[in-house]
Amino acid sequence: MRTALALVMAFMALVLSFTPGCKDKDPDPQAANEIKIGVFLSLSDANADFGKTTLNGIQLAVDEINEKGGVNGKKLVLVTKDTRSSPEQAQTVAKELATQDKVAVAIGSVESGQSIKAAPVFQEAGIPMVSPSSTNPEVTKQGDCIFRVCYLDDFQGASCAAFAYKDLEFRKAAIIFAQDDDYSKGLADFFRKSFTALGGTIVEEAAFQGKASEFKDQVTKIAAANPDVIFAPVYYGSIGLIARDFRKQGVKAPLLGGDGWESPQLIQLAGETLEGCYFGYHYDPEDSDPKVQGYLKAYKAKFNTEPNSLSALGYDAVYTVVKAIELGGGDTSAQIKDGLTKIKDFHGVTGTYSIDSGRNAQKAITMLKIGGTDLKKVKVIQPSDIK
Amino acid sequence: MARTIAIFLAALAGCYGLNWFLAEFIEVVYVDYLNLIGIAIILAVSLNVVNGLTGQFSLGHAGFMAVGAFVASPISIWLTYGEFESGPLAHASLLHFGLALLACGVGAALVGVVVGAPALRLKGDYLAIATLGFGEITRIMLQSQDILGGPTGLKRIPKMPQLPGTAGWDGGTSTFWIFLVVAVLVILTVRLQRSTFGRALIAIRENELAAETMGIRSSRMKVMAFVYGAFFAGIAGALFAHYQHSVRPDDFTAVRSIGVVVMLVLGGLGSVTGAITGAVFVTLLPIMLRPVEESLASSGTPITGLSMIVYALLLIAFMIFRPQGIFGQRELSLKLLRSWVPSAVRGKGGKP
Repeated sequence: MRTALALVMAFMALVLSFTPGCKDKDPDPQAANEIKIGVFLSLSDANADFGKTTLNGIQLAVDEINEKGGVNGKKLVLVTKDTRSSPEQAQTVAKELATQDKVAVAIGSVESGQSIKAAPVFQEAGIPMVSPSSTNPEVTKQGDCIFRVCYLDDFQGASCAAFAYKDLEFRKAAIIFAQDDDYSKGLADFFRKSFTALGGTIVEEAAFQGKASEFKDQVTKIAAANPDVIFAPVYYGSIGLIARDFRKQGVKAPLLGGDGWESPQLIQLAGETLEGCYFGYHYDPEDSDPKVQGYLKAYKAKFNTEPNSLSALGYDAVYTVVKAIELGGGDTSAQIKDGLTKIKDFHGVTGTYSIDSGRNAQKAITMLKIGGTDLKKVKVIQPSDIK
Repeated sequence: MARTIAIFLAALAGCYGLNWFLAEFIEVVYVDYLNLIGIAIILAVSLNVVNGLTGQFSLGHAGFMAVGAFVASPISIWLTYGEFESGPLAHASLLHFGLALLACGVGAALVGVVVGAPALRLKGDYLAIATLGFGEITRIMLQSQDILGGPTGLKRIPKMPQLPGTAGWDGGTSTFWIFLVVAVLVILTVRLQRSTFGRALIAIRENELAAETMGIRSSRMKVMAFVYGAFFAGIAGALFAHYQHSVRPDDFTAVRSIGVVVMLVLGGLGSVTGAITGAVFVTLLPIMLRPVEESLASSGTPITGLSMIVYALLLIAFMIFRPQGIFGQRELSLKLLRSWVPSAVRGKGGKP
């Protein structure tokens, strides 16, 4: 009985220690002259790179807008939270953004796993969430408040298949992918489906665990099947090693990948081994469009580094939200959500896109070819090209 | 018997009161912390029966959690929506939720028998490695199950059942369900400790050979303790999944298993109150260190994973200065608190 009493007392102490967190009964959480944008990204741990480059893009856009006097005379204010590269933490910070900071709209995250965990929170709070670069189809299916400004893995996989079959005229493909990674496995599945539907054959498949650094077995298996092209939907950290192992075994077939390859260090990491390989990307950095060149210049001037597609998507996410405020007729969560559904032919750095009824951006994918030390645009595939 | 029923009723009322109070007056993020603490307590107290009371070193708790989560979630998704398509969330009904919890507990317990019966023949480090292996195998096997969502896992897991008179964030009932399980588990475990069964477990911990000569069937007892732990770890997994509304195999890495063991080591292996203290402490530490980390980062010297460094330092400090943990094998009681006050402070009135 004594123990029970002590337990109850200790528990009461614990609960009482929470009293500083009493509910704020303030009816007007948002200051009249600002619009709060919540941002949740991996700013530390494994994927810190993803978060930091995206945040740069977001920051650049917000600064540009505020310099021009903000939106309807209101300044944009960023509330940034670090998800520590953990989906679980993403849900916790999403709760903070939704209930404590009471943001009008949220932008995040890069990793689909984090976006999927955060989505129910924003859905419950009725706050629109815009993911800049989560490509997993499941993300926006979590509710009618969840949007994104990038293309989806199914489109990306199908585009790569169509590109390999129709443009490069390859008939025998092999796939190497990370079995425990949603991005890699998803793309592999969609590629397989589309490529066989077009009439091609998948001659061999080899899977590995996400953190592998040695691909000899997989490479040997694929080399034996003698494919025309090897689809490798992996992240930039692995592709250099995979390419090296293929070339070592004398496999000359080009590798083909998705936006995960993209990194300023890609050429360094992979060296000559990726010469003549292709990957799908969000935009063409060589595009003469003033919007693209203006963004690239402003980014380099502000951060003194090369931007990547994640920064561009973060940048576009902010401008898309601003456009939504205009279309929705105001800056409350409901109005922004309404505005987001009306985005049509929006001209951004990463192309011209509309938000469809599934709350996804309908936009083109740019296939790039790696040659020597630079990337060359080979083809732009529109959503209408893929049926 | 009447007393037991009274205690359970009191726990029920207490949880309802707590839930109502929190939903009404406290910020959602703080309630969130408390709910996460609740789940951690379930894990720590259930593992304590294996690691603390019986003295077997298991590192597979996250594996059982995963089994629980991936048994309960499909059941309650299917019963609630009748399909596996994504869409808006709904509340599970009381019956469906109860069925899912029961199924996941039983599922995890069955896995506990299958794993425990052979593994518990191993001792010490070997058992730790075997159970660690079990956890990792479970995670990797789940990743390759397309029917369970593969590496992305399951989504749209229903909210916990509604209660009369509660409203607010997420239906505002998670705290009630989580702490109801905490209460049931703590009451059962305290009772268990004092029972013949509990005494037998302690005897095995102290000296297995001696216990066997006294007629205790040690392998059977060990498996039973293991299954008890697995049952509640499974339920913790299910609660976690329903609380987060989505679950992925990677939520249950070996790091989580080790985290539970850290809770026990800090709180005191073999003590229920120690396990609870450890769970509270280990869950709150990274949350409390976050402002520190953020201010460090903004001042230009970011330390990534400060909480990990603090954990390590704390563990080392504990191993040097208090290897038995905060409570050792004792329970929090007024007597223990008194014994902690130095006799000089207690004055002459302390002892005649």
